Amino acid sequence: MTREEAARLLHAYIDGELDPVKSLELEAHLAENPSVRAACERLRGMSAAIRDKADYHPAPAWLEARVRAAIPAGPENVSAPWWRWLKPAGSFSAAADWLRPAASFAAVALVTWVVALGTMRPSEDERITQEVLASHVRATLANRFYDVASSDQHTVKPWLSARLAFSPPVADLSASGFELVGGRLDYIGAQPVAVLVYKRRQHLIDVFVWPVEAQKTEQTLAHDGFNIERFARNGMGFWVVSDLSRNELDDFVRLLAAP
Amino acid sequence: MLAADSALLHETDPVALHDTDPVPLHETLSERKRRFEQWVLPHFDAAYNLARWLTRNDHDAQDVVQEAVLRAYRFFDGLRGEAKPWLLSIVRNSFLTWLHINRPAETVGFDDGAIDLIPTDADGPEILAARSFDRKMLNEAIAALPLQFREVLILRELEDLSYKDIARIADVPIGTVMSRLARARRLVAQSLGATSNISGTQVHK
Repeated sequence: MTREEAARLLHAYIDGELDPVKSLELEAHLAENPSVRAACERLRGMSAAIRDKADYHPAPAWLEARVRAAIPAGPENVSAPWWRWLKPAGSFSAAADWLRPAASFAAVALVTWVVALGTMRPSEDERITQEVLASHVRATLANRFYDVASSDQHTVKPWLSARLAFSPPVADLSASGFELVGGRLDYIGAQPVAVLVYKRRQHLIDVFVWPVEAQKTEQTLAHDGFNIERFARNGMGFWVVSDLSRNELDDFVRLLAAP
Repeated sequence: MLAADSALLHETDPVALHDTDPVPLHETLSERKRRFEQWVLPHFDAAYNLARWLTRNDHDAQDVVQEAVLRAYRFFDGLRGEAKPWLLSIVRNSFLTWLHINRPAETVGFDDGAIDLIPTDADGPEILAARSFDRKMLNEAIAALPLQFREVLILRELEDLSYKDIARIADVPIGTVMSRLARARRLVAQSLGATSNISGTQVHK
């Protein structure tokens, strides 16, 4: 371990955030280097002094009481759940009594309708939405985002083209803060597709690309906390999935779709 | 991203998507309020402490915390995992909203990742025998830190949160938490070192 690396890892070490392997390496380094060891001790002292001497500001008791009182617990809460209306409630007026059977009937009708919807075959768009979302989440969970890791469009594009029956357009958007990090292959809508992976801060953006016949309309969807956008350009269909905010993803799509 | 970030714990943990208790289906509003009070309000002091260090005065901290807790109640069903980092991230967001409205000049550069400074040098002699620090000077030195360094220092040293939780609250990668924390400690040490050097010179003249 170099002296620079040791110095850099000292903070994580004294905070107990270093993995066991690096901790052992660092401890070996500390054993051999008294000056780094001394720096480590000074750092611990610094941290202890802040914990010991910096003011901790507990909330005044009256503030907690005031905030508790301000939290709505009555029926005026706008985010009241809909099933509240199906439950007997003491505060209901007599006039509301006749509403209850009507509400129950409406609920049964609603449930029937939802069940009927659920048993119908999902449209192709819905199925593809599910598939691209699943691919994105799978890549995130497995921490395996790309088969080819490169920020160079001239590396990613030939790699994908060599493995697919088409050549996906690969844009360099690094000047706008969207860094290309790699590409992977996946199987969506019964065909092999290209997935370009971009990064904005710690957010990853998956761009699924495959050839389409018709120019589909642009569409924006949100699903389980992910934003999904889709559009078509020059015979290619694009599905963009990310946990990035809607505004930033819109910017990204605008850049990607620019001729 | 820094090359050695993989040395940190938790860096590759998968994102927990659904790791909290399901919301009871037939919960009344008073039950919901009670559950909120039980889960979230134990962290009221932490919320206040963070808001107080961010705003640097009691009056504004009170406004920010009240707004944050009411906001937290509205979004309570979205709570995933531990309540403390979740509440503190809402406090921070409420603070940023407050800052934007009340002190627009101070928001410049706060969310700009470009400020991050990577520690390159050993923590040199500016980190002094810290136990002798004067309490008042230490508090002033922390209060004088730029926001992005002050918040990670408070979350780490006073709230004892992990890098992972701090990363979630401050909405930055874990490697950035580490570099900001290193920078924060060095800045505090420098400002105390400078102060004590000056007073030292005066004493020994």
